[in-house]
Amino acid sequence: MRSDHNLKDLEDIATKLRLHVVNMVAPSGQGYVQQGLGAADIFTSLYFAEAKMDPKNPTWADRDRIFLTTAHNTAIFYATLGERGFFDTERLSTYVTDGSELEINSSERLGPFVEATCGSLGQGLSVAIGCAIAAKRQGRTSRFYVIIGDGEMQEGQVWEAAMLAGAKGLDNLCLIVDYNFVQSEGAMDKVMSLEPLMDKMASFGFACQEVDGNDIGTLLNAYDIARQTKGKPSFIKANTIMGKGVASLEGLMFHQLRFPQEVADSARAELEAQL
Amino acid sequence: MSKTLTQLEAADFINRSFTPLPRSYGDALVEAALQDDRITALCADLVPPTETDRFRDELPDRFLNTGIAEANMIGMAGGMARSGEIPFCHSFCAFITKRVLDQITMQAAYPNLPVKIVGFLPGIATILGVSHQAIEDVAIMRAVPNMAIFEPSGPEYHAAMVEMALAWDGPVYLRMKRPDTTPAAFTPQKLEIGKGVIRREGSDITIISAGICVSEALIAAEALAKDGIEARVIDMASLKPIDEKLIIDSAKKTGAMITVENHSIIGGLGSAVSETLMEAGIGLPFKRVGINDQFCEGGTTAYLMNKFGIDCEGITAAAKSIL
Ligand SMILES: Cc1ncc(C[n+]2csc(CCOP(=O)(O)OP(=O)(O)O)c2C)c(N)n1
Ligand SMILES: [Mg+2]
Repeated sequence: MRSDHNLKDLEDIATKLRLHVVNMVAPSGQGYVQQGLGAADIFTSLYFAEAKMDPKNPTWADRDRIFLTTAHNTAIFYATLGERGFFDTERLSTYVTDGSELEINSSERLGPFVEATCGSLGQGLSVAIGCAIAAKRQGRTSRFYVIIGDGEMQEGQVWEAAMLAGAKGLDNLCLIVDYNFVQSEGAMDKVMSLEPLMDKMASFGFACQEVDGNDIGTLLNAYDIARQTKGKPSFIKANTIMGKGVASLEGLMFHQLRFPQEVADSARAELEAQL
Repeated sequence: MSKTLTQLEAADFINRSFTPLPRSYGDALVEAALQDDRITALCADLVPPTETDRFRDELPDRFLNTGIAEANMIGMAGGMARSGEIPFCHSFCAFITKRVLDQITMQAAYPNLPVKIVGFLPGIATILGVSHQAIEDVAIMRAVPNMAIFEPSGPEYHAAMVEMALAWDGPVYLRMKRPDTTPAAFTPQKLEIGKGVIRREGSDITIISAGICVSEALIAAEALAKDGIEARVIDMASLKPIDEKLIIDSAKKTGAMITVENHSIIGGLGSAVSETLMEAGIGLPFKRVGINDQFCEGGTTAYLMNKFGIDCEGITAAAKSIL
């Protein structure tokens, strides 16, 4: 764990973000509750501790860039951006309503902190690699974090991109897979599992770590190691649990979940009690 | 609590309610496959939203979820078609056209193979936003040689789509829309490849439309009738090949024409109709109604159709503007 952050504070932030996720999805049932709850610790550790950024100046050229390539995981993404100060958290209540920039798939029309428009799966890693190469040419110290889905890694373009990142030894790149083991059809192995994923990525030239993606301290450690790794891009297999933090939802492996009011209410009560 | 939780079964991209939606396309495909064992189905990880769940469950040996890998799906379908099968490939319109265009041209269209490309979420009709909206798919697919394009104006025409796809001896693009609710009873007119269907008669203007805009055109025609303007409304479900004869006859009969599409005004139905008119040497008051060369956004379909001017209001205004 890095010394400059209080783990308990970060965990409280993650709980707060989870509460936003529930509140944002509850009114319409539109949005990704399970993924949002599962990825809350990845978002918290990146946006509130690891990455350098200035919410007042989101186009700061030397910022670290975070690409959410599973652009549908927006409830947690927007909650994070709001709490981090990129916009007023009051806007979160417009989530997925007609006319709102807070769309179900994030688009850069919301602002420059959406580093690329990625709703078509499999494209974001290439963009991040382009930025990472440009940053090296320009002598910048920025780091490039990509949050990718495990289902999304079935796209061929991901492997073209990974092959290049490995071949070029792009050590300013850190690819984090939100390994919740679910794609649209359900469990990954019902369709096509990625395993052995660590071996695959290592053979593509990545420095690989497998961590508990719901443990903020462990995630921060992994980012530390990635930052210190020279000559290779990093890959973090972050094992996450869908619905993490809400007992009644934890471990329910659904890409999309029906989210009736009474379930939302009990989830809200449970999270509020933790704060 | 636990009683509710048993109901938390997976929703899907289109259906958020607890009531299953009708599966008119998926049922027709299964029925056809039961008659013809050359028919197989592939899907790039969007099974319920493309109505292929029944095919998956009832004909598992002839079904393949390829994973989220559309390019590989089309390439494999080319191989299956070369091996005597008739593969129906499924995803959303945006991904199954734009993302895999080269695979379509080289592995389906150039060898003129019976690869049937089936997309859902046509045009702007989705909350899922710009990445999931296909406003240029018809333009792209029209330009591919050997390719036929059919778009149903409602679920009552879904079974006909499967028939037409099978009747076309080559690659086909079906531009499908899953119904949001159970549709009202309706006796469909017969659809044929290369033929438009006259859905309403009128002698002052012709409105040529396709897909979800047809019902809006019919509403617009009633509004126009109140102002003494009688519109002929054509459902151009066969976008390619297109019914040139009906376009020319209607132009001569009504003397004014608009086209209405859930697509960019560039390259789609409006372009196809103008090309036909121009080559026949017909000049007349004419307007294309569609997405005005701009990107859109996610939202409810009614909201978006209104905002981007392709609902009955936009159609009525366009018709009046040229008369
Ligand atoms: C190119 C493309 N194909 C299909 C889809 C439809 N789609 C959206 S999310 C999804 C499943 C994604 O699974 P995963 O990457 O594991 O993300 P998770 O929801 O588990 O975080 C699919 C197939 C898409 N958005 N883009
Ligand atoms: Mg997943």
